Amino acid sequence: MEESARSAPIRNQLLERLPRARRVQVIARCERVQLVNMESIAEAGGEMRNVYFPTGSSISMLVPMGESLPPEVRLAGSEGFYGISVALGMTISPVHVRVQEPGSAWRIGSAAFRRELARTPTLRDCVNRYIFVIMTQLMRNAGCNRFHSVPQRVARRLLMMADRAHSATFHLTHESLANVLGVRRVGVTEAASALQRHRLIEYSRGSVTVLDRPGLERASCACYRDDIALYRRYLG
Amino acid sequence: MSDFRQNHLLAALSATQLKRLSRDLEAIEMPLGDALYESGRQPQYVYFPTTSIISLLYVLESGASAQIAVVGNDGVVGVSLFMGGETTPSRAVVQSAGLGYRLAARAIKHEFIRGGPLQGLMLRYTQSLITQMAQTAVCNRHHSVDQQLARWLLHSIDRLAVPHITMTQELIASMLGVRREGVTEAAGRLQKAGVISYRRGQISVLDRRKLERLSCECYEVVRKETARLLPWVPPH
Repeated sequence: MEESARSAPIRNQLLERLPRARRVQVIARCERVQLVNMESIAEAGGEMRNVYFPTGSSISMLVPMGESLPPEVRLAGSEGFYGISVALGMTISPVHVRVQEPGSAWRIGSAAFRRELARTPTLRDCVNRYIFVIMTQLMRNAGCNRFHSVPQRVARRLLMMADRAHSATFHLTHESLANVLGVRRVGVTEAASALQRHRLIEYSRGSVTVLDRPGLERASCACYRDDIALYRRYLG
Repeated sequence: MSDFRQNHLLAALSATQLKRLSRDLEAIEMPLGDALYESGRQPQYVYFPTTSIISLLYVLESGASAQIAVVGNDGVVGVSLFMGGETTPSRAVVQSAGLGYRLAARAIKHEFIRGGPLQGLMLRYTQSLITQMAQTAVCNRHHSVDQQLARWLLHSIDRLAVPHITMTQELIASMLGVRREGVTEAAGRLQKAGVISYRRGQISVLDRRKLERLSCECYEVVRKETARLLPWVPPH
């Protein structure tokens, strides 16, 4: 499903950072698309045809590990974009890429995106800063995965998902959460039940509602707060 | 005598670019345990290891750290500098003593902004680093200490001329973010199986094939990706 591009409001923060004239120029090359839940954007080892700037949707990148459900390495929402590898000059995807939260996005062909990068230094600069932020976050995840408890990581993840869905309510199954965090399902169920008992979230039929955001932030490890500070500093 | 062409990234540069950079390249010794970067500081140099190996570590508030990548003669330490980061998010520690070159931040930034082959090489290297980091973050959660030790040993000896590495178990433990006893036990099992020998701080890999089988798939995923992204690095 595609709608008329130029009338829709932009809510992608990376594009918002561009000077107006440059933003208009980049968006003129984009199409507005609606992403469907779990839609495949790219396959590991396959070609990366398009780059996406989410505006309400979110896109998940999964490491192929020979398991039925590959673990997630990162989640891109309206704070950034999907297509770092394209920006770094690659054509083949190292990861599986799926829509995590359905919604709208700006889509641009990989070749067109590279042309825009080459002729628009401010876009290159924004993209590089975003890559720096993502590398920092990957490092943080390596530490978080190793040292923080499952309940803390569940809280961090729920906050990240609410931010990217631009809504206190979003889709989620315990199974996908367990998979994303790389922990057993029962661990996730216990953590989610505890959060529900404390009235921080409400969980029903595959959807989560955040009821008490400050409370959920306190339940999360410091990684969530550190992520927000990083975004403000480099992308705010 | 060390030659900067021993670093494959430098060796892949054009003669003109190398000539321009060689004025600013400075040969240095990198002793075991030396910190090239502390996280949160503004880096003054980027480092191109030739015979040394550097570990990139993410340090948590508690002081605990987790390894996120290994950089040797295949790469450069300090990618954040040309990606627009003001401070480095990781700690960089010499995990295998040797030689390398450093280049002032100003010189690399200047050369990077000029565009051309150096920029392309650095971006490609950044992609390979991102792949390594993403895989390590996931590995930290999914795989056993034995598997991670095997992976780390393989990544390390791939960057050395000989299959020996001088290391204390304490350093390995802090690098992998596990307890020292965990490393002692895992190393003991590898030694018993005849895969490595460990004497007075020197680890020698005796049976590489078997070590590969004992490692998680993360070693092979990263090795293949690196070979694809950095075709100028000789295969192991």
